Amino acid sequence: MEEFLKVENISKSYPVRGENSFVTIYENINFTMNKGEFMCVIGHSGCGKSTILNNLAGLDIPSSGSIKMLGNEVHSPSLERGVIFQNHSILPWLTVFKNVTMAIKCKFKNMSTEDIASRATHFLKMVGLQDAMYKKPSELSGGMKQRVGIARAFAIEPTLLLMDEPFGALDALTRGKLQEKLIEICDKTKQTTFMITHDIDEAILLSDRILLMSDGPEAKIAEIVAVNIPKPRNRATIINDPAYYDIRNYLVDFLVNHSGKINENIKNGTLKEKDLPIAVDPHQLKFQLENNSIDL
Amino acid sequence: MTENKKAILLSITLFVVFLIVGELITSTGERNKKNMTEYEQLMGMGETQAHVPGPIEVFKHALSELSDPFYDNGPNDKGIGIQLLYSIARVMAGYLLSVIIALPIGFLIGMSPVFYKALQPYIQILKPISPLAWMPLALFVIKDSVMSSVFVIFICSIWPMLINTAFGVMSVKKDFLNVAKTLEMSSLKTAFQIILPAALPTIFTGLRISMGISWLVIVAAEMLVGGTGIGYYVWNEWNNLDLASVVFSIIMIGFIGMFLDSLISRSSKYFNYQE
Repeated sequence: MEEFLKVENISKSYPVRGENSFVTIYENINFTMNKGEFMCVIGHSGCGKSTILNNLAGLDIPSSGSIKMLGNEVHSPSLERGVIFQNHSILPWLTVFKNVTMAIKCKFKNMSTEDIASRATHFLKMVGLQDAMYKKPSELSGGMKQRVGIARAFAIEPTLLLMDEPFGALDALTRGKLQEKLIEICDKTKQTTFMITHDIDEAILLSDRILLMSDGPEAKIAEIVAVNIPKPRNRATIINDPAYYDIRNYLVDFLVNHSGKINENIKNGTLKEKDLPIAVDPHQLKFQLENNSIDL
Repeated sequence: MTENKKAILLSITLFVVFLIVGELITSTGERNKKNMTEYEQLMGMGETQAHVPGPIEVFKHALSELSDPFYDNGPNDKGIGIQLLYSIARVMAGYLLSVIIALPIGFLIGMSPVFYKALQPYIQILKPISPLAWMPLALFVIKDSVMSSVFVIFICSIWPMLINTAFGVMSVKKDFLNVAKTLEMSSLKTAFQIILPAALPTIFTGLRISMGISWLVIVAAEMLVGGTGIGYYVWNEWNNLDLASVVFSIIMIGFIGMFLDSLISRSSKYFNYQE
């Protein structure tokens, strides 16, 4: 079977100013995604997460390697790949409603005005913005703006949804509410989603699998952790699942103790580059943690 | 008392103080016209020396001028309204001409960093040239005084528009352009639906600066070319030593300038947005 998304050996390097050399941000990035899967990427700043997302979106072309979605090479932005940007990027001169209808018009070129309006209304209702439809973005709070971004992205029914730290700038309460909203919508639509986050709890709550990146430069995907907590999940009950803490501890341990040593370990031979990324089976996490307990 | 009320009160107080001081320093005392020769009365309206008119005198003069602003008694005696309309018409002609040219070119310059860098030195050299320096060249080439003053308005008002349009287009947030890209918008659609609305507030700043400059320039230009217009009127009244008319027209220039400025700033409100 053909993979939904296949990322092969992509890398990104930039010329160093004033020197005749290149700095490699990331290299040998390999992973695949299945249809309907929710995937999160975690890694320290500077490992090139956002650039990888831009590669997937087609907004930025990797220096080498290939990205194929449903067999087609990704080389430019497309309506098949919706993006929710970190700073929401809704157009401040349009009302909330028009921000969404504009996107719908771009995707469904032959749709009637009434259908466009009802579709926009539907998706704005879905994110709970039915009362703010005719407001300008400047009248909205940060969380509401981000919800407009979510409505806009879902309204064009992208094959793949890309989210770059969508809740990064929000306070914890708003973030929690939006996460639940996102879970609800993704459950309904079976949306395939690739998301960047800094928030470990968010990653566990939302993901089927979590990509762990080593530190840049020359960052790599070190491990891929499957999250074996049954769906649908919610914030209140997920903490009762014993697997939750195993995964959480494991992720923290990786970010604190291991992410910076991957390249070193490859150099001294304790880690083979061709083995990366290591698929982590969540059922074995208990065992590993007992052997090297970490202080949180 | 609210802030606004305080401001209005202070404004009025300043105005009254200005009137009183103005009246005091310009008052020349009563003169006895009866004891003057006919020649003296003819030359200076009963005064031995021309003087700067006080507020009351200017106000009286303004009332009589404004009661019949559009009379036309031949080339050297036209109402203030007619003179102002001539000037406004010239400003509008030159200004609109530069809008038509500056906005599209500014847009292109803003879209292309190469264009921007290539044209930057020319713009920087042309921008600081005094409007009146263009006048002899314009008069020689165009051979028409009215069209020359329109040209001078054009050449002076184009630079702020051009620079602001280019700058506005250039500094459209990359995120907005990324939105356009991910929605697969055509370049034309991106230009009109993303770049133009995003750049409009900056473009309007340029339009406003240009309007101010145009109004400054027209007075000077008309003083040179003569014939009609508020600039010519001021100069003509100076030649007549009718200082009440000079002061009155200075005030009118100020009012019209304020009106033109508010025209642009009011319309810009419809296109402004807040992040």
